[in-house]
Amino acid sequence: MIRVEGLVKDYPMAGDTVRALHEVTFEIPTGSLAAIMGQSGSGKTTLLNLLAGLDGPTAGRYWLNGRDVSAFGVVEWSRERNRTIGFVFQAFNLLPSMSALGNVELPLVYRRVPPRQRRERAQAALEAMGLAHRAHHRPTELSGGQQQRVAIARALVGDPPLLLADEPTGNLDAETGDEILNLLAALNRQGRTIVIVTHSAEVAARCQLVLRMRDGRMLPAAAGGGA
Amino acid sequence: MTWADSLRTAWAGMWSSKLRALLTMLGVIIGVAAVITLVAIGNGASQAVASRIETLGTNVLFVTPGPGTPFTTRQVAYIRDNTPVARVVVPLLNSGGQLSVGTSTLAAPVVGTTPGYQALGAIHLAAGRFLVPADITFNRDAVVLGANVSQALFGAGNPVGAHVSLLGQRFTVVGVLQPVGQGPGTSQDNSVFIPLPVAQFLLSTQNLSAVLVGASSPTAASQAQDLLTNLYTNRFGSASSVTVASEDQVLATLSATRATFTNLLAGTALISLVVGGIGIMNIMLVSVTERTREIGVRRAVGAVPEDVVLQFLLEAMVLSLTGGALGVGAGLVMVHLAPLFLKTPAVFTPSAVVLAFVFSTLVGLVFGLYPAVKASHLHPIDALRHSG
Repeated sequence: MIRVEGLVKDYPMAGDTVRALHEVTFEIPTGSLAAIMGQSGSGKTTLLNLLAGLDGPTAGRYWLNGRDVSAFGVVEWSRERNRTIGFVFQAFNLLPSMSALGNVELPLVYRRVPPRQRRERAQAALEAMGLAHRAHHRPTELSGGQQQRVAIARALVGDPPLLLADEPTGNLDAETGDEILNLLAALNRQGRTIVIVTHSAEVAARCQLVLRMRDGRMLPAAAGGGA
Repeated sequence: MTWADSLRTAWAGMWSSKLRALLTMLGVIIGVAAVITLVAIGNGASQAVASRIETLGTNVLFVTPGPGTPFTTRQVAYIRDNTPVARVVVPLLNSGGQLSVGTSTLAAPVVGTTPGYQALGAIHLAAGRFLVPADITFNRDAVVLGANVSQALFGAGNPVGAHVSLLGQRFTVVGVLQPVGQGPGTSQDNSVFIPLPVAQFLLSTQNLSAVLVGASSPTAASQAQDLLTNLYTNRFGSASSVTVASEDQVLATLSATRATFTNLLAGTALISLVVGGIGIMNIMLVSVTERTREIGVRRAVGAVPEDVVLQFLLEAMVLSLTGGALGVGAGLVMVHLAPLFLKTPAVFTPSAVVLAFVFSTLVGLVFGLYPAVKASHLHPIDALRHSG
């Protein structure tokens, strides 16, 4: 699903450049439940941004879902995110002015799905998350766990093959976090590739594939657990 | 994202913060209402001028002294002697004065003139008589009231024989004119007429405001105009010392002045519309900053920069157009209320609505563009990381 070769990312900083990623190379096969693990400052967020096309690499190559996306521009990446990648954030990032249903519909809006059809699909996605009865509530009226499930419904509504989750349990208590992880694991068993970025060893332990990062470098796979 | 979706989002956004949206639109509402109201008042004034065209007939010339030109009663004889085509020559001394009867008072234009004024054919009596030669000869304190003046001071009653106080003198009402039109200001319905010598005495002047020359035909009027222009240019050495103009020309000048006035009013109103646009831009910039995170989320789920531009541009336009629509409503109310408070006619023109709408659309486009483009340039990572 994801193959990366010699990925480098430099940031200009006060007339100098700081290298956030040093020639990172790895592969995440389709159908994996993978964790990218590292302390803050290890470069894992930078890597996630590059994988999502939210930022461009300084050097290196990237194949996503079998296609070379290294040279993608802003518009191509927008389309790619819309169709291939579902996003789950630590802070949920639901739009407060919209109902849960409206939030879940959002990716379909940018895919130009007609209103009635996208309403039905969003409703179905919420149902799958066990939130059908909360469809018309605003995010602020929902608990943290519910908000994150709405966010997962939003990530899944367009049926993307890849789910990128950035510290999805970071803002949740242990029990709710566990529920979310169970949910992600279940989605993985249905065949979806899931990549979780985390600093937590506990979360990483739930994954089959663990990529460890430190100081902008990928540590040898031998150091990880997993399958 | 389609237009319909952007529009729905923009509308919902406005509806969710009604007070803020209303305050943002206020500038445009006031601007549009001002354009419609002020253009209507300007038009009303112009039409009032136009309605006077018929008042004095088209064969009448105005001979008016320039500032500083000595122009006394002797000019009447001078003009009569030198202008054989003139049918009537009537001196005018225009002034203003406070009329009072008992406790009721009224400010009105006061015209000092001679019985010849009636021969111009513009006035018709409702009661009594106009000024007669004896009024001039014996300096009688006689006054003829315009229809509105009579109505205001005496109501429906017949005031002939009653006394009014004017310019510190007690006058006897000798006649009342029939109403001619709805013109405000100096229309003869609102004026009073007194004998010229009496007016000159009370105002302590020998000068005249103008001499009216009535010819028997437009051709004769035109001849008389050329003749008098030459005569006065030779006599005073300058064409501007005394102006000789037909009533049409006077009205044309007056209309041009009114048009300038209307344009000035409309221009002022348009400026307030532009200020309203700046208000919208201000709030849109705040909105972009407040919703940085939303922009990041939208970009993350697949919005291209054009989608973001469209969204914010449409929001600005929804604000300015809703403001425009409310402004048109407010303007229509004002057009109906203005005549009651300002005592000036207001004539509504649909083109003012079109003008106001076109401008409020432009205002939304122009002032919405910068915030919208700014929003689309936000880097999605920075936008997502933005706290708030």
